[in-house]
Amino acid sequence: MTFWRQALEIARVDLTVESRVGNTIRITLPFAVVALMVFPLALGLQLGVVSATGLGVFWAIGILFGMQVALRQSASDTRERRDLQALLGVDPAARFVGRLFSGGLLMVGFLLTMLVAMAVLFDPDIPQGGWPVLVLSTLLVAIGLTELGTLAGEITTGLSHRTVLASLIVAPLALPLVIGASQSVEALQRDTGILAWILLLIASDLALAVAGVALARPLEKATR
Amino acid sequence: MTLSSVKPILSFQSAGVSLGGRPILRAVELAVGPGEAVGIAGPNGSGKTTLVRAAATLVSIDQGSLSVLGSDTGAPDLTAVRRSIGLIGHQPASIPELTLFENLDHIARLGGFDRSRVTRALEVVGLGEAAGRKVEVCSFGMKRRLEIAHLLLARPRLLLLDEAASGLDDAARDLIGALVDSVLARDGGCLVVSHDRGQLETLTDRVLTLAHGTLKAAQ
Amino acid sequence: MTRVRVLLSLAAVAVGVGLWFALTAPPDALQGEYARLLGIHPPSMWVAFIAFGVTAFGSIMWLVKKTERWDRLAAASVEVGVIFTAIGLFTGMVWGQAVWGTAWDWQDPRLMSTAVMFFVYLGYIALRNAIDDPAIRARRSAILGTIAVVQVPLVYFSVNLFRTLHQTQSIRPDGSTMPREMSLAMLVNMGAFLILYVALMAARIEVAKDEAAAAPESTLAGEAVRPPRLSEVEDV
Repeated sequence: MTFWRQALEIARVDLTVESRVGNTIRITLPFAVVALMVFPLALGLQLGVVSATGLGVFWAIGILFGMQVALRQSASDTRERRDLQALLGVDPAARFVGRLFSGGLLMVGFLLTMLVAMAVLFDPDIPQGGWPVLVLSTLLVAIGLTELGTLAGEITTGLSHRTVLASLIVAPLALPLVIGASQSVEALQRDTGILAWILLLIASDLALAVAGVALARPLEKATR
Repeated sequence: MTLSSVKPILSFQSAGVSLGGRPILRAVELAVGPGEAVGIAGPNGSGKTTLVRAAATLVSIDQGSLSVLGSDTGAPDLTAVRRSIGLIGHQPASIPELTLFENLDHIARLGGFDRSRVTRALEVVGLGEAAGRKVEVCSFGMKRRLEIAHLLLARPRLLLLDEAASGLDDAARDLIGALVDSVLARDGGCLVVSHDRGQLETLTDRVLTLAHGTLKAAQ
Repeated sequence: MTRVRVLLSLAAVAVGVGLWFALTAPPDALQGEYARLLGIHPPSMWVAFIAFGVTAFGSIMWLVKKTERWDRLAAASVEVGVIFTAIGLFTGMVWGQAVWGTAWDWQDPRLMSTAVMFFVYLGYIALRNAIDDPAIRARRSAILGTIAVVQVPLVYFSVNLFRTLHQTQSIRPDGSTMPREMSLAMLVNMGAFLILYVALMAARIEVAKDEAAAAPESTLAGEAVRPPRLSEVEDV
């Protein structure tokens, strides 16, 4: 089987499992929306404050809960399954790419839904032309977060407390993504140009993709 | 042609393995020839699983040499070798949320096996009628049969069994025996690991004992 | 399935009639055309309350009788109730954006309690989906369904118990606070949505029965596992 067919097959099965278990749509997403609603209550329900903090809360909740979406597959990754894939000749890089496909699809759906929920609940002050920028940066953050989560899952495979450990790895590394995304909208408000921030996001995503593919085989060896 | 001139399917030569900084195997000498089944007995914690996983190239050796299907396991790309290895380990590797059929079909796709044989393989192992059942509701024995079905599709040249018959009914144990016979008939080799010496004597040509990380091959 | 088709057809006609009433009612002096949403928003929430009440009833009956049909009734009612709650929340937010200038008022107890109720019943659905064993699923859902209904009177009377942006009940025993045409639209839609509720319930219960029938409960699980065909091992 070719590299891309392996990747697509892994993505296909991952999405099939997700469609049956439904953790992302039935549990993580509703819980994340509830978490979105907790913030205004904690901030004292002042409309002006709620509006101003909407975007920030979206990124915070999006990253924290998005990590759970990104890590859900590696949580069920057993040694036996990895051994089986190794003996079937599955390229670890193809496994990484496959998980990017499936995880990326789920993450984009998750973050875009959260964006809509935030827009409705917080009524944020978005400058003129801000929504397309916001959607673009959400898509780029979704890809980057998926890459981070998949990489972190590979790094922590076989370790005890791997889910918590992987979250610890992802959270700080996700900061450049959050900064790029939030600053791109701020830049619109200040009228200082968004290109640099969007390029930062694209560069981060590309770098993570290359790192993931390049490190997949060494990581596989390191876990044996 | 003498036995010694036939290239072994599996050959450990003074091989040693350490895991987590601790030596597990040392100076292991073992050769499995074509058409031969070798049994390894030993107490719990003696390193039997590590030996099997090293033979499967899933664990690297630190000392000595290990040759699997004619290739040194120190080579950079072991993909071709691994595709000719069949392994049944302690725990099944199936995906619980998929059905028995879907699991085997997924394996067939990834391994490049003929997918039209999937249904037949399930029928031969006795899971034909249960093929639509999700693995999460299947018994351990059914999951084992699924693994055997995989190996019927894969037709490995080197078969590695690690406590494969544990927890199985008599019919499934006979299936393991038939699997070993089919590999040997194709001039493949089998390494069977178990703490049940009686089972090993039924399945294999000779039984060796792993103790204190060391195994000496009988000539 | 014929009964379900008849009910769904009836519901389609009823909803069509209800929408006609809502769309032909005169606009309001202050709310303009958005007043028509009042023909849909309150009826959808009333039906949601009824649905969750039915769930509680079905849950209690299951706990007493332990028969499958009560579990099916309770579960189907939650699913339909969640749909109507979503319609109510959505139409309320559209109306609120137009009339109050905000789609969501964090300080409004009616809005917040409705949202909490919505998520609790979403949690009920997630709970059911997480459990494969029918008996365990029925028991845990029944307990949650019985407890969760406490929210319904809290949501309904929140406008009376607290100061809220949301108005109090428009249709009361002593009459209506709205123009006759709008009250009529509301009542007609109430009837239409009730018929739709019954139709959706009937459809959902049929599906649940079919799912249960598809599960081979009459066959012993072990009978599907046959002896292996040892002589055919070479021929795979």
